[in-house]
Amino acid sequence: MLNVAGELSGDSWGIFTFLCAALCNLPALPALNCTEELGPGHSIQKTYDLTRYLEHQLRTLAGTYLNYLGPPFNEPDFNPPRLARAERVPSATVDLELWRGLTDNARLAANYRAYSRVLCSLRALDAQGTAELRHRLGHFCSSLQGLVLSIAGVMSSLGYPLPAGPPAQPPAQAGAAATNDFLKKMDDFWLLKELQTWLWRSAKDFNRLKKKVPPAVVTLRMEARGF
Amino acid sequence: MFSGWNWVAHSLYLFLSICSLKVSGGLVQSCGHIIPESPVLALGSNFTALCILNESCLDFGNIYASQIIWKIKNRVVPKEQYREINRTVSSVTFNDTSSLATPLTCNILADGQIEQNIYGITVTVGLPPEKPKNLSCIVHQLSKITYPMTCTWNPGRHTFLDTHFRLKYRWLQETFPDCIPKDVNNSCTIRDVQFFVNTKVWVEAANALGKAESDPLILDPIEIVKLLPPHNLSVNSGILPTVLKLSWENQISDTAMKLKFNIRYKIMGDTNWMQVPPEDTASTRTSFSVQGLRPYTQYVFSIRCMKEDGVGYWSDWSEEKTGITTEDKPSKGPPIWRIIDVSRSPPSWTVHLMWKALKPFEANGVILQYEVTVRAKSSLSRPPEKYSVNTTDLTLKIPNGTYEVTVVARNRAGASPPSVLLIPASNSKAPVKNVRTLPKDGKLWVGWTPPDSYVLKYVIEWCLVSNSSDCIIEWQTEPGNVQGTYLKGDIKPFKCYLITVYPLYADGQGSGQSVKAYLQQDRPSKGPTVQTKKVGKAEAVLTWNHLTVDEQNGFIRSYTIFYKTIDGNETAVTVDPSKTEYTLSSLASDTLYTVRMMAYTDEGGRSGPDFTFTTQKFGRGEIEAIVVPVCLAFLLIVLLGVLFCFNKRDLIKKHIWPIVPDPSKSNIAQWSPQVPAKHNFSSKDQMYPEGSFTDVSVVEIEADDKKSFSEQDLKPFDLLKKEKSTSEGHSSGIGGSSCMSSPRQSVSDSDEGETTQNTSSTVQYSTVVLNGYRDQTPVQVFSRSESTQPLLDSEERLEDHTGGGDSTTQRQQYFKQNGVQDEINTDRPCFERMKPITSANEGDIVGFAQLQISGQSSQLLGLGLEKNTQEAAVSDALQASTEGQNVVPEIVEGNPPSVDEMPKSYLPQTVRQGGYMPQ
Repeated sequence: MLNVAGELSGDSWGIFTFLCAALCNLPALPALNCTEELGPGHSIQKTYDLTRYLEHQLRTLAGTYLNYLGPPFNEPDFNPPRLARAERVPSATVDLELWRGLTDNARLAANYRAYSRVLCSLRALDAQGTAELRHRLGHFCSSLQGLVLSIAGVMSSLGYPLPAGPPAQPPAQAGAAATNDFLKKMDDFWLLKELQTWLWRSAKDFNRLKKKVPPAVVTLRMEARGF
Repeated sequence: MFSGWNWVAHSLYLFLSICSLKVSGGLVQSCGHIIPESPVLALGSNFTALCILNESCLDFGNIYASQIIWKIKNRVVPKEQYREINRTVSSVTFNDTSSLATPLTCNILADGQIEQNIYGITVTVGLPPEKPKNLSCIVHQLSKITYPMTCTWNPGRHTFLDTHFRLKYRWLQETFPDCIPKDVNNSCTIRDVQFFVNTKVWVEAANALGKAESDPLILDPIEIVKLLPPHNLSVNSGILPTVLKLSWENQISDTAMKLKFNIRYKIMGDTNWMQVPPEDTASTRTSFSVQGLRPYTQYVFSIRCMKEDGVGYWSDWSEEKTGITTEDKPSKGPPIWRIIDVSRSPPSWTVHLMWKALKPFEANGVILQYEVTVRAKSSLSRPPEKYSVNTTDLTLKIPNGTYEVTVVARNRAGASPPSVLLIPASNSKAPVKNVRTLPKDGKLWVGWTPPDSYVLKYVIEWCLVSNSSDCIIEWQTEPGNVQGTYLKGDIKPFKCYLITVYPLYADGQGSGQSVKAYLQQDRPSKGPTVQTKKVGKAEAVLTWNHLTVDEQNGFIRSYTIFYKTIDGNETAVTVDPSKTEYTLSSLASDTLYTVRMMAYTDEGGRSGPDFTFTTQKFGRGEIEAIVVPVCLAFLLIVLLGVLFCFNKRDLIKKHIWPIVPDPSKSNIAQWSPQVPAKHNFSSKDQMYPEGSFTDVSVVEIEADDKKSFSEQDLKPFDLLKKEKSTSEGHSSGIGGSSCMSSPRQSVSDSDEGETTQNTSSTVQYSTVVLNGYRDQTPVQVFSRSESTQPLLDSEERLEDHTGGGDSTTQRQQYFKQNGVQDEINTDRPCFERMKPITSANEGDIVGFAQLQISGQSSQLLGLGLEKNTQEAAVSDALQASTEGQNVVPEIVEGNPPSVDEMPKSYLPQTVRQGGYMPQ
């Protein structure tokens, strides 16, 4: 606040004051950086890392879960046609050009919505398998929740408004899910598959966004750590 | 009295009223209550309590607030702290709650005497929680997917109250359940955390007095992770002998976290770790090649990891894994040395070549064999001899000369550079000087002064000197530029080492210089056993053996001999250690000494066994000095005695064994006619056996008619010729008289002069009584006269008188007296009987006879001549010596008529004879 005030004074004396104040406040910056919310670059980087981490987690989780579902879902080349009825998970299979043409805000909002819904679906997954599977699933859900929050953080740091709260479970989906065990498994399969695609694309999005936002704050933080 | 009754009634009423209240209320209902109810108070704060009395009680018992007494436990609170607010309310104020205790009671003093409890509260005093400080969190990786976060904090001071801590954490828009610590108040573990999401963490502490929150911590758990170390570490040897390749598995995905590593390694058995430069392992990887290792060496490896950017914590070190590098050629040749045994004939050497096995870091592998080349320098034409051995020594028998020995060690990877030893014909070069040793840090240091010329290297030989084992030589080489080194071997303390230093030159070697040394000295393990070699009167020669090397335990610096008598002080003598003998002097004679001996090293001494000895009573030669002179003196005395005896033998003989004349050898006997004499002899022998005449001289005078006078006339001349014959004649003269009066006195001589019979010096007189002649029974009566003296005296006197003129008369008288007897004794038996005795006594009487000769011969001779002419017949019959002849005329002249009477009065006669002295 002080330096801002100096800047406002406008005259040379004011500039000098500003410089002095800036120098004096330099040592205080690390503390500031540590306690305050870091800049958008940092949160973008974190979101990116988290996306990659979730990607990695999902690889293991999907393998375990598909094995739990049993054949044919755990076969490597199993590629069933996507049932149109399953609108439970937003599809990531949007044209790449079209996706790139969207604004950052739109993309982030889409990610946010998608992951919010996926998270709900994941939590509803029938995890009767081994303790490890349940643990992995629980951990993954927690992490995915973290991703949702991270995206929200990025959006807020970039000044974008958060999309309206994710729509509550569509009653149609809830009703359709439990009818057939195979279909349910199919839904789970597609859930994981779509999630994989979303994560892959999100990682690209955040990587691009990371490059767009300069990491100045990040470097400052690193220097400050050196004090 | 009234007041007393009043009081009783009042209190009864009060009691009843309380009871009725209880009953009416159905619950315990007291007359008042305290505000606040069971307060929790901060320590040190002030506190005011109010006791409010019920109105009902006021009515019943005249109870007012002024009567209230406050008590803490059983202690009455001072009245100064009370305040009566109104009729029914009393307050008490405490400035410091630390003086409070439970319970705090409100009591009333009914009528000023009975104290009645109204109400009581429990008071809890404590502190509000402090703000928890130093909150820190760490995420421990437990498995690939389990990342619990443990946060710890400082809970602050003790509050004395039940204080609850809660670890709170939340995301920006997400709140998680609190973590409530179990059993502790300073840490809590959140079971699962998510990475890459900023999390806010803080601690809340709360108790009855308040609530405090720590400063919040905003963190991404990924930044505080302590990972599990990489696992499945494996070590593989590469192509190069100095490289080992490590590979491992990380326990976290590189998508989650990029890693950096630390790799540490050490040679198996070492303690110090080396580390691969961190910058070489600052990125995520699963393998690494460690370079610059030693060939054929076993290494131990360990690895750890952390987040690549250094944020967070290092993992623990992984489990250790070992690996061995491959073999390489030995880096150097083995150090070589030799021992030469010289044999004179034929002149040759037995050379024991020895080399040391290479150290592992030099051998670079397993040494398969050693190749030894011996090249004679003197005869270059001879091809070098080559040997391949597995051991580290080689014994060669070679002629004297200069040789060059080369040893090469070979392993699977190749051969070492050769090590060369020059064996010169003689160690003619300069030796080192001033070899010295110094124990230092439990090792033995050897130093020397180098020779002037350039030394290639030094060889230090040493061996343990012991009685029980041979000197087994150990050795080591040192470069030529050093002047001292530690002995590289197992040098034991208390043992003697012989250390020799040889300088080796490029063209020869110097002779070895030796020194003995101990790493550490001790007292000798035993003392010398001392013995005496010789013990004298005042000195003793002690002898001992040197202690053996094993017993010495150090350099023997001196011996000390301790010796003492049983009750005396101990005397110590220090002896040079080279000696094995010592003479103790100034000892007391004939005394028991105890002696012992101590041997001293630098560290102290030890005593040997005690030895006792007794000094002699006499010194050497002392006995000889006494005995020899004594013996000599004795001998001298004996000799002198013998000489004296020899000189004085006559006197002795006279006193001890005077010669008794043997009548048988008498000259008179020889003259006797043979026939009757023989006859008489035999009879006489029978009658007088020789033994019965020991002390008696008997002269037998045998009258022989046939003896011519002329013969008698010649006799005196014969006597004159020979001394003995004169004495015989003289004695026979006496004997003639003795034959009648004292036969003892008569002595007959013979020519031989032998002494056949001795009598005591005192010749006993006896009287021979002659009875009948031939036909008569020869009854002889000897009357032994006890007194001999008179006759001797008379004889001596007679002798004396021969010198003087008046003695002749006496003598004549004497002869007259005897003459009477002579006539009577003219019987042959008298003569014959005497004969053997006189013969035995011949010669013994020499001295005696001589004495008589001087005085009597002339007188007797003249006398005899007269008689011959006058009484020829008588003298014939007598046939005696000159004396006899003399006797005969006297007898004739003297007392012819008394012949018959005499035998009867024989004994009286002898008495008379004895009594002739008065004549």
